[in-house]
Amino acid sequence: MKRTVDVSIPIGPVHPCWKEPARVKCETRGERVISAEVELGYMKKGIERIMKGRPWQEVMFLAERVCGICSVIHNMVFIEALEHISEIVVPERAAYLRVIVNELDRMQSHILANFSYCYTIEHETLGMYLLDTREKVMDELERITGARVTCAFIVPGGVRFDLRAEDVLHLRASLDILEQDIKRYTGIFERGPMIALRSRGVGILTQEAARESCAVGPTAKASGIADMDRRLHHPTYQKLGFVPISRNEGDNFARIMVRFQEVIQSIALIRKCLDQLPEGPIRGGGIPGAGEIAYSGEAPRGELSYFIKTDAAGRVLEISIQTPSIMNIEACCHYMLKGVASLADVTSTFVSSDPCIACTER
Amino acid sequence: MTLLQSLKNIVRSKSIHVAYVDVGSCNGCDIEVLACLAPRYDIEQYGIYVHNNPREADVLLVIGAYTPGWEEKLQSLWQKIPDPKVAIAIGNCPISGCLFNRPHTLVDPPVSKHIPIAAQVPGCPPRPTEILSAILSVAPTVFKDFEVRK
Repeated sequence: MKRTVDVSIPIGPVHPCWKEPARVKCETRGERVISAEVELGYMKKGIERIMKGRPWQEVMFLAERVCGICSVIHNMVFIEALEHISEIVVPERAAYLRVIVNELDRMQSHILANFSYCYTIEHETLGMYLLDTREKVMDELERITGARVTCAFIVPGGVRFDLRAEDVLHLRASLDILEQDIKRYTGIFERGPMIALRSRGVGILTQEAARESCAVGPTAKASGIADMDRRLHHPTYQKLGFVPISRNEGDNFARIMVRFQEVIQSIALIRKCLDQLPEGPIRGGGIPGAGEIAYSGEAPRGELSYFIKTDAAGRVLEISIQTPSIMNIEACCHYMLKGVASLADVTSTFVSSDPCIACTER
Repeated sequence: MTLLQSLKNIVRSKSIHVAYVDVGSCNGCDIEVLACLAPRYDIEQYGIYVHNNPREADVLLVIGAYTPGWEEKLQSLWQKIPDPKVAIAIGNCPISGCLFNRPHTLVDPPVSKHIPIAAQVPGCPPRPTEILSAILSVAPTVFKDFEVRK
């Protein structure tokens, strides 16, 4: 029988380009990848097992630590699920503040993902520009919430801190600088001939393949699917007139460009929030009670779902979390990596789908 | 100590290679380590070079609460690092397990049970400046009088 596979090359778990441990096994012929499999299991902490039977006050902090990059959305989805169970009404000002913080978190996550990609394709200059820009976003996040990463800003019935008048001024000034910077970097990325050689037409995920693999978030948006954005179903985003963006190329270039465009979109959303920000209290009343619900929100990487069942004392009896990276890693390994021309492109394609191993395994 | 040795000590403390390994964290500390690369903190101005190759590293940053998937793998990674070497625990997780060290958990902290830890940086997550100052405080001791010690 003719031998079709030359070598099976494992990449990872510790790899210079990857932030987190995961192993991708590539079956190659020459340097061309025929098939790829992902091997996980280095980060399983059993967070859902710890959460079961604990009061919501503890689960709130555990939920935030499912993922350190997109901690705000985990906090937001868990708390909003609790609020839906117990019919707690959120003051309008608090709802807007949640959107502001969530969008800031999305911005820093997207900028970090794009940094990782630029670092992987060895465009270190653009990577460092982006990482420096991310620090500006982190400053704003810290100014509003009091912490850089795990801020626990959103609590049942409202938010923890109000936005002061000087914070609004500072935030507006920063947004102007950020918009200018990101537009410049988008231009560099879009027009760079070397970047195009490494990105355009590499790791293609067609629209059908994206639907088959249930890809979500920027990965799906780069393949022309935009209707699955959970922000379309969120009342505050509906008030802001949110329209998701999409591109049709489906390659590495498109995925990075979608993230750049979403950062610009987030800036516009925050500006709109600041314009419409109503006066009033930031916390309503209410105690979490018994019930069960499946609730989802849009994380930076795609749809994030929580299924929660609580008792009358507010203890979490059952919890199940579905994070976006599971679907995106699936799409990456089974569709994008197939036929990738060289092993150097394997790492960059894997990074372009922005896998978050910590929240995949929990 | 000879003049040559003291010169070596000075020069070598300005040339530190860092690798990081995530043994089950929430990703927050990883990103703060990555943020050290940013021009604002600029880890390379101190002569510290961050890459993720254990075979060239002098300092290993251990992040996370030691999940069962790293059984034996962390030790073999530690053995791959050439002498002299130190490990620094970043964040609460490798020190105590932080939030994850509860009933029904899968993690097995502290990491010092599995590999020797020279310094610890508590925080959930610690700020990039704290990580930076920990590496800088350990850096002069890594190579100090290495030939004599041997």
